[in-house]
Amino acid sequence: MGSPTTLWEQFCSQPIVEDCPLYDMHGHWGSTTGICLPAAQFETARRLLERSGVKRLVICHHHALFSPEAGNATNVAAVRQLPEILRAYLAINPNYPELMAQDLADYDRYPEVYVGLKMLADYHRIAVDAPDAAPAWEMANARGLLVLLHTWGGSRYDGYEQVKSVLERYPNAKVLLGHSLFGEWEHAAELAADYPNCYLELTAASLERGGMETMLRGVGSEKLVFGTDFPWFGYPYCVGTILGANMTDENRRNILYRNAQRLLGEASHEGEG
Amino acid sequence: MNCVDINLQIGRSQVPQYGQASTVAELFQALDGTGITRGVVWHAAQRDGGPDVGNALVNQAIAGDDRALGCWAIVPPHTDHDLMTDDFFDRMRAERIVALRAFPEAHRYQLGRVTFGSFLDEVAERRVPVLLSLRFGADWPGVYRLLAEYPTLTVVLCDLGLWGQDRQSWPLLAEYPNVYLESSLVSLEAGGLEAVVQAYGAERVLFGSGFPFHYPHAAVLGLLQAELTEVDREKIASGNLRRMVEEVA
Repeated sequence: MGSPTTLWEQFCSQPIVEDCPLYDMHGHWGSTTGICLPAAQFETARRLLERSGVKRLVICHHHALFSPEAGNATNVAAVRQLPEILRAYLAINPNYPELMAQDLADYDRYPEVYVGLKMLADYHRIAVDAPDAAPAWEMANARGLLVLLHTWGGSRYDGYEQVKSVLERYPNAKVLLGHSLFGEWEHAAELAADYPNCYLELTAASLERGGMETMLRGVGSEKLVFGTDFPWFGYPYCVGTILGANMTDENRRNILYRNAQRLLGEASHEGEG
Repeated sequence: MNCVDINLQIGRSQVPQYGQASTVAELFQALDGTGITRGVVWHAAQRDGGPDVGNALVNQAIAGDDRALGCWAIVPPHTDHDLMTDDFFDRMRAERIVALRAFPEAHRYQLGRVTFGSFLDEVAERRVPVLLSLRFGADWPGVYRLLAEYPTLTVVLCDLGLWGQDRQSWPLLAEYPNVYLESSLVSLEAGGLEAVVQAYGAERVLFGSGFPFHYPHAAVLGLLQAELTEVDREKIASGNLRRMVEEVA
Protein backbone atom coordinates (compact mmCIF):
# COMPACT_ATOMS: atom_id res chain seq x y z
CA MET A 1 0.00 0.00 0.00
CA GLY A 2 1.36 3.45 -0.94
CA SER A 3 1.75 6.40 1.37
CA PRO A 4 -1.51 8.04 2.38
CA THR A 5 -2.62 10.85 0.11
CA THR A 6 -6.15 11.88 1.01
CA LEU A 7 -6.86 13.53 4.33
CA TRP A 8 -8.92 10.49 5.33
CA GLU A 9 -5.96 8.21 4.70
CA GLN A 10 -3.61 10.53 6.54
CA PHE A 11 -5.82 10.86 9.62
CA CYS A 12 -6.27 7.09 9.64
CA SER A 13 -2.53 6.57 9.75
CA GLN A 14 -1.76 9.17 12.44
CA PRO A 15 -3.80 11.31 14.85
CA ILE A 16 -2.00 14.52 13.90
CA VAL A 17 -1.60 15.61 10.29
CA GLU A 18 1.01 18.33 10.45
CA ASP A 19 -0.15 20.32 7.45
CA CYS A 20 -3.79 20.13 8.51
CA PRO A 21 -3.96 21.69 11.98
CA LEU A 22 -7.26 21.82 13.82
CA TYR A 23 -8.80 25.17 14.70
CA ASP A 24 -11.86 24.69 16.86
CA MET A 25 -14.03 27.81 17.06
CA HIS A 26 -16.63 26.44 19.48
CA GLY A 27 -15.55 24.96 22.78
CA HIS A 28 -16.16 25.12 26.48
CA TRP A 29 -14.20 24.29 29.58
CA GLY A 30 -14.74 22.66 32.94
CA SER A 31 -17.68 20.82 34.43
CA THR A 32 -21.34 21.55 33.84
CA THR A 33 -24.77 20.45 34.91
CA GLY A 34 -26.52 17.36 33.57
CA ILE A 35 -23.50 15.48 32.37
CA CYS A 36 -20.32 13.91 33.67
CA LEU A 37 -17.70 14.91 31.10
CA PRO A 38 -14.41 12.99 31.22
CA ALA A 39 -12.65 16.00 29.70
CA ALA A 40 -13.97 18.35 32.37
CA GLN A 41 -10.78 17.36 34.19
CA PHE A 42 -7.90 19.59 33.17
CA GLU A 43 -5.33 16.84 32.63
CA THR A 44 -7.72 14.79 30.53
CA ALA A 45 -8.65 17.82 28.45
CA ARG A 46 -5.04 18.76 27.86
CA ARG A 47 -4.09 15.22 26.88
CA LEU A 48 -6.96 14.97 24.41
CA LEU A 49 -6.16 18.34 22.84
CA GLU A 50 -2.49 17.52 22.47
CA ARG A 51 -3.16 14.02 21.21
CA SER A 52 -5.25 15.42 18.36
CA GLY A 53 -2.84 18.25 17.63
CA VAL A 54 -5.37 20.98 18.24
CA LYS A 55 -3.68 24.23 17.34
CA ARG A 56 -6.38 26.54 18.64
CA LEU A 57 -9.52 26.02 20.70
CA VAL A 58 -11.71 29.02 21.47
CA ILE A 59 -13.73 28.35 24.58
CA CYS A 60 -16.31 29.93 26.80
CA HIS A 61 -16.15 28.38 30.26
CA HIS A 62 -19.37 26.66 31.34
CA HIS A 63 -19.34 28.51 34.64
CA ALA A 64 -19.01 31.86 32.89
CA LEU A 65 -22.13 31.03 30.88
CA PHE A 66 -24.26 29.43 33.57
CA SER A 67 -23.15 30.85 36.92
CA PRO A 68 -22.99 34.65 37.01
CA GLU A 69 -21.19 34.67 40.35
CA ALA A 70 -18.35 32.60 38.89
CA GLY A 71 -18.40 34.72 35.77
CA ASN A 72 -15.74 35.49 33.20
CA ALA A 73 -12.90 35.10 35.67
CA THR A 74 -13.18 31.39 34.85
CA ASN A 75 -12.37 32.14 31.21
CA VAL A 76 -9.27 34.06 32.14
CA ALA A 77 -8.08 31.32 34.47
CA ALA A 78 -8.72 28.61 31.88
CA VAL A 79 -6.79 30.32 29.09
CA ARG A 80 -3.91 30.99 31.44
CA GLN A 81 -3.77 27.26 32.22
CA LEU A 82 -3.16 26.39 28.58
CA PRO A 83 -2.22 29.59 26.74
CA GLU A 84 -0.56 27.88 23.80
CA ILE A 85 -3.91 26.40 22.69
CA LEU A 86 -6.80 28.23 24.33
CA ARG A 87 -8.44 31.55 23.66
CA ALA A 88 -11.83 32.64 25.00
CA TYR A 89 -15.05 34.36 24.13
CA LEU A 90 -16.27 36.73 26.82
CA ALA A 91 -19.58 35.33 28.11
CA ILE A 92 -22.47 37.75 27.67
CA ASN A 93 -25.66 37.36 29.68
CA PRO A 94 -27.92 40.35 28.98
CA ASN A 95 -30.18 39.35 31.87
CA TYR A 96 -27.62 41.09 34.07
CA PRO A 97 -26.88 44.43 32.39
CA GLU A 98 -24.58 45.67 35.17
CA LEU A 99 -22.45 42.51 35.11
CA MET A 100 -22.38 42.62 31.33
CA ALA A 101 -21.28 46.25 31.33
CA GLN A 102 -18.48 45.45 33.76
CA ASP A 103 -17.38 42.44 31.70
CA LEU A 104 -17.32 44.51 28.52
CA ALA A 105 -15.32 47.21 30.29
CA ASP A 106 -12.81 44.56 31.42
CA TYR A 107 -12.42 43.03 27.96
CA ASP A 108 -9.29 44.99 27.09
CA ARG A 109 -7.53 43.97 30.26
CA TYR A 110 -7.06 40.50 28.80
CA PRO A 111 -5.87 40.79 25.21
CA GLU A 112 -4.10 37.44 25.52
CA VAL A 113 -7.38 35.78 26.49
CA TYR A 114 -10.29 37.15 24.51
CA VAL A 115 -10.97 36.99 20.79
CA GLY A 116 -14.66 37.90 20.93
CA LEU A 117 -17.99 37.47 22.66
CA LYS A 118 -20.33 34.55 23.22
CA MET A 119 -24.11 34.60 23.65
CA LEU A 120 -26.21 31.64 24.76
CA ALA A 121 -29.63 33.10 24.21
CA ASP A 122 -31.67 29.88 24.29
CA TYR A 123 -30.36 29.10 27.75
CA HIS A 124 -30.44 32.66 29.05
CA ARG A 125 -33.91 33.09 27.52
CA ILE A 126 -33.27 36.51 26.15
CA ALA A 127 -33.20 37.09 22.41
CA VAL A 128 -29.93 37.95 20.69
CA ASP A 129 -31.58 41.09 19.34
CA ALA A 130 -33.08 42.16 22.68
CA PRO A 131 -32.40 45.78 23.69
CA ASP A 132 -30.40 44.66 26.72
CA ALA A 133 -27.92 42.90 24.43
CA ALA A 134 -27.28 46.06 22.39
CA PRO A 135 -24.20 47.29 24.30
CA ALA A 136 -22.38 44.05 23.53
CA TRP A 137 -23.34 44.23 19.87
CA GLU A 138 -22.32 47.86 19.62
CA MET A 139 -18.89 47.03 20.96
CA ALA A 140 -18.52 44.04 18.64
CA ASN A 141 -19.66 46.10 15.69
CA ALA A 142 -17.35 49.01 16.46
CA ARG A 143 -14.31 46.76 16.78
CA GLY A 144 -15.13 44.01 14.29
CA LEU A 145 -15.12 41.37 17.02
CA LEU A 146 -16.09 37.75 16.63
CA VAL A 147 -19.43 36.90 18.23
CA LEU A 148 -20.24 33.22 18.67
CA LEU A 149 -23.98 32.67 19.02
CA HIS A 150 -25.68 29.50 20.09
CA THR A 151 -28.33 29.23 17.34
CA TRP A 152 -31.15 26.74 16.92
CA GLY A 153 -33.83 26.25 14.31
CA GLY A 154 -37.21 27.40 15.52
CA SER A 155 -35.90 29.22 18.56
CA ARG A 156 -37.51 32.50 19.50
CA TYR A 157 -34.28 33.60 21.12
CA ASP A 158 -31.65 32.72 18.53
CA GLY A 159 -33.60 31.44 15.54
CA TYR A 160 -33.55 32.66 11.97
CA GLU A 161 -35.40 35.95 12.51
CA GLN A 162 -33.45 37.06 15.57
CA VAL A 163 -30.09 36.21 13.99
CA LYS A 164 -31.02 37.93 10.76
CA SER A 165 -31.92 41.03 12.71
CA VAL A 166 -28.47 41.34 14.34
CA LEU A 167 -26.65 40.51 11.11
CA GLU A 168 -28.52 43.36 9.50
CA ARG A 169 -27.91 45.82 12.30
CA TYR A 170 -24.27 45.03 13.09
CA PRO A 171 -22.52 44.41 9.77
CA ASN A 172 -19.00 44.77 11.17
CA ALA A 173 -19.33 42.11 13.86
CA LYS A 174 -18.12 38.72 12.61
CA VAL A 175 -20.96 36.48 13.65
CA LEU A 176 -20.49 32.72 13.98
CA LEU A 177 -23.74 30.79 14.07
CA GLY A 178 -22.96 28.06 16.59
CA HIS A 179 -24.79 24.83 15.62
CA SER A 180 -25.78 26.55 12.34
CA LEU A 181 -29.44 27.11 13.26
CA PHE A 182 -29.67 23.42 14.05
CA GLY A 183 -32.07 21.69 11.71
CA GLU A 184 -32.65 24.72 9.49
CA TRP A 185 -29.64 24.14 7.29
CA GLU A 186 -31.06 25.97 4.30
CA HIS A 187 -31.86 29.04 6.37
CA ALA A 188 -28.35 28.97 7.82
CA ALA A 189 -26.83 28.79 4.35
CA GLU A 190 -29.08 31.62 3.20
CA LEU A 191 -27.90 33.92 5.99
CA ALA A 192 -24.24 33.08 5.42
CA ALA A 193 -24.67 33.74 1.70
CA ASP A 194 -26.56 37.00 2.19
CA TYR A 195 -24.39 38.52 4.92
CA PRO A 196 -20.62 38.76 4.48
CA ASN A 197 -20.20 38.92 8.26
CA CYS A 198 -21.97 35.58 8.87
CA TYR A 199 -20.22 32.21 9.27
CA LEU A 200 -21.58 28.79 10.09
CA GLU A 201 -20.02 26.72 12.85
CA LEU A 202 -20.29 22.96 12.40
CA THR A 203 -20.75 21.37 15.82
CA ALA A 204 -24.12 20.26 14.50
CA ALA A 205 -22.57 18.33 11.63
CA SER A 206 -21.83 15.29 13.77
CA LEU A 207 -25.40 15.13 14.98
CA GLU A 208 -27.32 15.03 11.73
CA ARG A 209 -25.78 13.58 8.60
CA GLY A 210 -26.51 15.62 5.49
CA GLY A 211 -26.88 19.04 7.08
CA MET A 212 -23.31 19.97 6.33
CA GLU A 213 -23.67 19.03 2.67
CA THR A 214 -26.77 21.23 2.44
CA MET A 215 -24.88 24.20 3.85
CA LEU A 216 -21.87 23.53 1.66
CA ARG A 217 -24.07 23.56 -1.42
CA GLY A 218 -25.77 26.75 -0.30
CA VAL A 219 -22.82 28.89 0.69
CA GLY A 220 -19.49 27.16 -0.03
CA SER A 221 -16.76 26.03 2.34
CA GLU A 222 -15.26 29.52 2.85
CA LYS A 223 -18.13 30.33 5.23
CA LEU A 224 -17.97 27.13 7.31
CA VAL A 225 -15.82 26.72 10.42
CA PHE A 226 -14.96 23.67 12.49
CA GLY A 227 -16.32 23.35 16.02
CA THR A 228 -16.79 20.53 18.52
CA ASP A 229 -18.34 21.89 21.71
CA PHE A 230 -15.30 20.33 23.43
CA PRO A 231 -15.29 18.92 26.12
CA TRP A 232 -18.65 17.59 25.02
CA PHE A 233 -17.57 16.15 21.68
CA GLY A 234 -14.14 14.80 20.84
CA TYR A 235 -11.79 15.43 17.94
CA PRO A 236 -11.48 11.98 16.39
CA TYR A 237 -15.25 11.70 15.91
CA CYS A 238 -15.78 15.28 14.77
CA VAL A 239 -12.84 15.25 12.36
CA GLY A 240 -14.18 11.96 11.05
CA THR A 241 -17.47 13.71 10.36
CA ILE A 242 -15.74 16.32 8.19
CA LEU A 243 -13.71 13.63 6.46
CA GLY A 244 -16.79 11.52 5.82
CA ALA A 245 -18.90 14.29 4.34
CA ASN A 246 -19.31 14.59 0.63
CA MET A 247 -16.77 17.30 -0.24
CA THR A 248 -13.21 17.78 -1.49
CA ASP A 249 -10.12 17.88 0.70
CA GLU A 250 -9.69 21.55 -0.22
CA ASN A 251 -13.11 22.23 1.28
CA ARG A 252 -12.12 20.25 4.37
CA ARG A 253 -8.97 22.32 4.81
CA ASN A 254 -11.03 25.50 4.60
CA ILE A 255 -13.27 24.19 7.35
CA LEU A 256 -10.64 22.65 9.62
CA TYR A 257 -8.24 25.60 9.74
CA ARG A 258 -8.06 28.12 6.90
CA ASN A 259 -11.23 30.05 7.62
CA ALA A 260 -10.52 30.16 11.35
CA GLN A 261 -6.96 31.35 10.82
CA ARG A 262 -8.35 34.20 8.77
CA LEU A 263 -11.05 35.07 11.31
CA LEU A 264 -8.58 35.01 14.19
CA GLY A 265 -5.99 36.98 12.25
CA GLU A 266 -3.45 34.21 12.69
CA ALA A 267 -0.71 33.55 10.20
CA SER A 268 -1.31 30.68 7.82
CA HIS A 269 1.24 27.88 7.95
CA GLU A 270 0.66 27.51 4.20
CA GLY A 271 2.27 30.86 3.53
CA GLU A 272 -0.83 32.40 2.01
CA GLY A 273 -0.92 35.33 4.36
CA MET B 1 -8.44 -2.00 11.28
CA ASN B 2 -11.41 -4.03 10.09
CA CYS B 3 -14.66 -3.16 11.79
CA VAL B 4 -17.76 -5.29 12.14
CA ASP B 5 -20.68 -2.95 12.71
CA ILE B 6 -23.51 -3.87 15.12
CA ASN B 7 -25.66 -0.86 14.20
CA LEU B 8 -26.40 -0.58 10.49
CA GLN B 9 -29.79 0.36 9.09
CA ILE B 10 -30.73 -0.44 5.53
CA GLY B 11 -33.90 0.43 3.65
CA ARG B 12 -35.65 3.63 2.77
CA SER B 13 -37.23 5.48 5.68
CA GLN B 14 -40.70 6.94 5.17
CA VAL B 15 -39.02 10.34 5.51
CA PRO B 16 -35.88 10.05 3.36
CA GLN B 17 -32.66 10.00 5.33
CA TYR B 18 -29.57 11.51 3.73
CA GLY B 19 -27.23 8.80 2.49
CA GLN B 20 -29.57 5.88 3.18
CA ALA B 21 -28.86 2.53 1.50
CA SER B 22 -31.72 0.49 0.16
CA THR B 23 -29.86 -2.80 -0.14
CA VAL B 24 -26.88 -4.55 1.43
CA ALA B 25 -24.95 -3.96 -1.79
CA GLU B 26 -25.65 -0.21 -1.58
CA LEU B 27 -24.74 -0.27 2.08
CA PHE B 28 -21.28 -1.71 1.56
CA GLN B 29 -20.74 0.54 -1.42
CA ALA B 30 -21.39 3.50 0.89
CA LEU B 31 -19.04 2.03 3.50
CA ASP B 32 -16.28 1.35 0.99
CA GLY B 33 -12.97 2.72 2.25
CA THR B 34 -14.14 3.19 5.83
CA GLY B 35 -12.80 -0.12 7.11
CA ILE B 36 -16.30 -1.41 7.95
CA THR B 37 -16.40 -4.70 6.13
CA ARG B 38 -19.22 -6.64 7.78
CA GLY B 39 -22.15 -5.96 10.04
CA VAL B 40 -25.51 -6.71 11.56
CA VAL B 41 -28.31 -4.94 9.73
CA TRP B 42 -31.82 -3.91 10.60
CA HIS B 43 -34.37 -2.45 8.21
CA ALA B 44 -36.17 0.89 8.29
CA ALA B 45 -39.38 -0.97 7.60
CA GLN B 46 -39.10 -2.77 10.94
CA ARG B 47 -39.75 0.57 12.57
CA ASP B 48 -41.82 2.39 9.95
CA GLY B 49 -43.83 -0.39 8.33
CA GLY B 50 -44.07 -2.97 11.09
CA PRO B 51 -42.11 -6.01 12.20
CA ASP B 52 -43.78 -8.42 9.76
CA VAL B 53 -42.78 -6.57 6.62
CA GLY B 54 -39.52 -5.37 8.15
CA ASN B 55 -38.31 -8.77 9.30
CA ALA B 56 -39.13 -10.27 5.91
CA LEU B 57 -37.17 -7.50 4.20
CA VAL B 58 -34.17 -8.18 6.42
CA ASN B 59 -34.26 -11.87 5.46
CA GLN B 60 -34.46 -10.94 1.81
CA ALA B 61 -31.72 -8.30 2.03
CA ILE B 62 -29.06 -10.47 3.66
CA ALA B 63 -29.78 -13.67 1.73
CA GLY B 64 -26.68 -14.75 -0.13
CA ASP B 65 -24.46 -11.93 1.12
CA ASP B 66 -22.12 -13.08 3.85
CA ARG B 67 -21.05 -9.53 4.71
CA ALA B 68 -24.33 -9.00 6.54
CA LEU B 69 -26.10 -10.81 9.33
CA GLY B 70 -29.60 -9.86 10.35
CA CYS B 71 -31.61 -8.55 13.22
CA TRP B 72 -35.33 -9.14 13.78
CA ALA B 73 -37.83 -6.95 15.58
CA ILE B 74 -39.82 -8.60 18.38
CA VAL B 75 -43.43 -7.94 19.36
CA PRO B 76 -45.66 -9.32 22.13
CA PRO B 77 -46.26 -13.09 21.77
CA HIS B 78 -49.86 -12.61 22.98
CA THR B 79 -50.88 -10.76 19.87
CA ASP B 80 -48.49 -11.34 17.01
CA HIS B 81 -48.77 -15.12 16.58
CA ASP B 82 -47.54 -15.14 12.99
CA LEU B 83 -44.19 -13.67 14.02
CA MET B 84 -43.67 -15.02 17.50
CA THR B 85 -44.07 -18.68 16.56
CA ASP B 86 -42.97 -21.76 18.48
CA ASP B 87 -40.15 -22.30 16.01
CA PHE B 88 -38.97 -18.65 16.30
CA PHE B 89 -35.38 -19.54 17.16
CA ASP B 90 -35.12 -22.21 14.47
CA ARG B 91 -36.31 -19.71 11.90
CA MET B 92 -33.81 -17.18 13.20
CA ARG B 93 -30.96 -19.60 12.65
CA ALA B 94 -32.19 -20.55 9.20
CA GLU B 95 -32.35 -16.91 8.12
CA ARG B 96 -28.95 -15.94 9.67
CA ILE B 97 -30.55 -13.69 12.25
CA VAL B 98 -28.20 -13.18 15.19
CA ALA B 99 -29.83 -10.38 17.18
CA LEU B 100 -33.20 -8.90 18.10
CA ARG B 101 -34.44 -5.36 18.31
CA ALA B 102 -37.35 -3.94 20.24
CA PHE B 103 -39.26 -0.79 19.34
CA PRO B 104 -41.62 -0.51 22.31
CA GLU B 105 -42.64 3.04 21.49
CA ALA B 106 -43.29 2.63 17.75
CA HIS B 107 -44.96 -0.76 18.20
CA ARG B 108 -46.81 0.31 21.35
CA TYR B 109 -46.08 -2.27 23.99
CA GLN B 110 -44.40 -2.52 27.36
CA LEU B 111 -41.00 -4.17 27.14
CA GLY B 112 -41.04 -6.37 30.22
CA ARG B 113 -42.03 -9.67 31.84
CA VAL B 114 -45.80 -9.14 31.74
CA THR B 115 -45.57 -8.79 27.96
CA PHE B 116 -42.77 -11.20 27.06
CA GLY B 117 -42.79 -13.74 29.92
CA SER B 118 -40.71 -16.83 29.23
CA PHE B 119 -39.85 -15.71 25.70
CA LEU B 120 -37.18 -13.33 26.95
CA ASP B 121 -36.00 -15.95 29.45
CA GLU B 122 -35.25 -18.16 26.47
CA VAL B 123 -33.60 -15.25 24.65
CA ALA B 124 -31.37 -14.77 27.70
CA GLU B 125 -30.58 -18.49 27.93
CA ARG B 126 -29.67 -18.64 24.28
CA ARG B 127 -27.57 -15.52 24.69
CA VAL B 128 -29.27 -13.76 21.80
CA PRO B 129 -28.36 -10.07 22.02
CA VAL B 130 -31.26 -7.62 22.24
CA LEU B 131 -30.39 -4.27 20.70
CA LEU B 132 -32.12 -1.28 22.26
CA SER B 133 -31.73 2.08 20.58
CA LEU B 134 -32.06 5.17 22.70
CA ARG B 135 -32.80 7.00 19.45
CA PHE B 136 -35.51 4.64 18.31
CA GLY B 137 -37.90 4.01 21.10
CA ALA B 138 -36.03 2.71 24.12
CA ASP B 139 -35.72 4.97 27.14
CA TRP B 140 -33.65 4.72 30.27
CA PRO B 141 -36.48 3.92 32.74
CA GLY B 142 -37.63 1.17 30.37
CA VAL B 143 -34.12 -0.26 30.07
CA TYR B 144 -33.71 -0.25 33.84
CA ARG B 145 -37.07 -2.02 34.30
CA LEU B 146 -36.28 -4.63 31.65
CA LEU B 147 -32.94 -5.53 33.19
CA ALA B 148 -34.39 -5.70 36.69
CA GLU B 149 -36.80 -8.33 35.35
CA TYR B 150 -34.30 -10.14 33.11
CA PRO B 151 -30.93 -9.61 34.76
CA THR B 152 -29.06 -12.13 32.59
CA LEU B 153 -30.40 -10.82 29.27
CA THR B 154 -27.73 -9.80 26.76
CA VAL B 155 -28.53 -6.19 25.93
CA VAL B 156 -26.63 -3.88 23.59
CA LEU B 157 -27.50 -0.23 24.15
CA CYS B 158 -27.27 1.60 20.83
CA ASP B 159 -27.36 5.26 19.77
CA LEU B 160 -26.68 6.34 23.32
CA GLY B 161 -27.51 9.97 22.78
CA LEU B 162 -25.81 13.21 22.08
CA TRP B 163 -25.41 14.16 25.69
CA GLY B 164 -22.94 11.77 27.27
CA GLN B 165 -24.89 9.04 28.98
CA ASP B 166 -22.35 7.80 31.49
CA ARG B 167 -24.60 8.50 34.46
CA GLN B 168 -27.31 6.36 32.85
CA SER B 169 -25.23 3.57 31.33
CA TRP B 170 -22.41 2.97 33.79
CA PRO B 171 -24.62 1.73 36.67
CA LEU B 172 -26.03 -0.84 34.23
CA LEU B 173 -22.56 -1.97 33.21
CA ALA B 174 -21.68 -2.36 36.87
CA GLU B 175 -24.83 -4.27 37.80
CA TYR B 176 -25.47 -6.51 34.79
CA PRO B 177 -22.59 -8.47 33.23
CA ASN B 178 -24.36 -8.96 29.90
CA VAL B 179 -24.95 -5.29 29.13
CA TYR B 180 -22.87 -3.78 26.33
CA LEU B 181 -22.56 -0.36 24.73
CA GLU B 182 -22.53 0.34 21.00
CA SER B 183 -19.57 2.62 20.38
CA SER B 184 -20.61 5.38 17.98
CA LEU B 185 -21.94 8.05 20.30
CA VAL B 186 -19.72 6.86 23.15
CA SER B 187 -16.82 7.95 20.99
CA LEU B 188 -18.56 11.21 20.10
CA GLU B 189 -17.98 12.32 23.69
CA ALA B 190 -14.47 13.66 24.27
CA GLY B 191 -12.59 10.88 26.03
CA GLY B 192 -15.80 8.88 26.36
CA LEU B 193 -14.54 5.63 24.89
CA GLU B 194 -11.34 5.68 26.91
CA ALA B 195 -13.27 6.38 30.10
CA VAL B 196 -15.71 3.49 29.74
CA VAL B 197 -12.98 1.07 28.73
CA GLN B 198 -10.93 2.07 31.73
CA ALA B 199 -13.90 1.62 34.04
CA TYR B 200 -15.46 -1.58 32.66
CA GLY B 201 -13.08 -3.04 30.09
CA ALA B 202 -13.05 -3.13 26.30
CA GLU B 203 -15.11 -6.33 26.41
CA ARG B 204 -18.21 -4.25 27.13
CA VAL B 205 -18.13 -2.14 23.96
CA LEU B 206 -19.12 -3.15 20.42
CA PHE B 207 -18.31 -1.11 17.35
CA GLY B 208 -21.27 0.59 15.71
CA SER B 209 -21.66 3.50 13.34
CA GLY B 210 -25.36 4.36 13.47
CA PHE B 211 -25.42 4.41 9.66
CA PRO B 212 -27.09 6.19 7.89
CA PHE B 213 -27.90 8.73 10.59
CA HIS B 214 -24.28 9.45 11.41
CA TYR B 215 -21.11 9.49 9.34
CA PRO B 216 -19.45 6.04 9.45
CA HIS B 217 -16.03 7.68 9.05
CA ALA B 218 -16.62 9.43 12.37
CA ALA B 219 -17.25 6.21 14.29
CA VAL B 220 -14.22 4.56 12.67
CA LEU B 221 -11.89 7.46 13.44
CA GLY B 222 -13.38 7.71 16.93
CA LEU B 223 -12.20 4.15 17.58
CA LEU B 224 -8.99 4.30 15.56
CA GLN B 225 -7.66 7.36 17.35
CA ALA B 226 -8.90 6.54 20.86
CA GLU B 227 -6.17 6.12 23.44
CA LEU B 228 -6.53 2.33 23.74
CA THR B 229 -4.25 -0.67 23.46
CA GLU B 230 -4.33 -2.42 20.09
CA VAL B 231 -5.76 -5.49 21.81
CA ASP B 232 -8.66 -3.46 23.22
CA ARG B 233 -9.21 -1.70 19.90
CA GLU B 234 -9.50 -5.02 18.09
CA LYS B 235 -11.96 -6.32 20.66
CA ILE B 236 -14.21 -3.34 20.10
CA ALA B 237 -13.77 -3.28 16.33
CA SER B 238 -14.76 -6.87 15.77
CA GLY B 239 -13.66 -9.37 18.42
CA ASN B 240 -16.46 -8.82 20.92
CA LEU B 241 -19.19 -9.07 18.31
CA ARG B 242 -17.68 -12.17 16.72
CA ARG B 243 -17.62 -13.83 20.12
CA MET B 244 -21.18 -12.72 20.87
CA VAL B 245 -22.46 -14.15 17.58
CA GLU B 246 -20.61 -17.44 18.13
CA GLU B 247 -22.20 -17.80 21.54
CA VAL B 248 -25.77 -17.49 20.28
CA ALA B 249 -27.39 -20.89 20.82
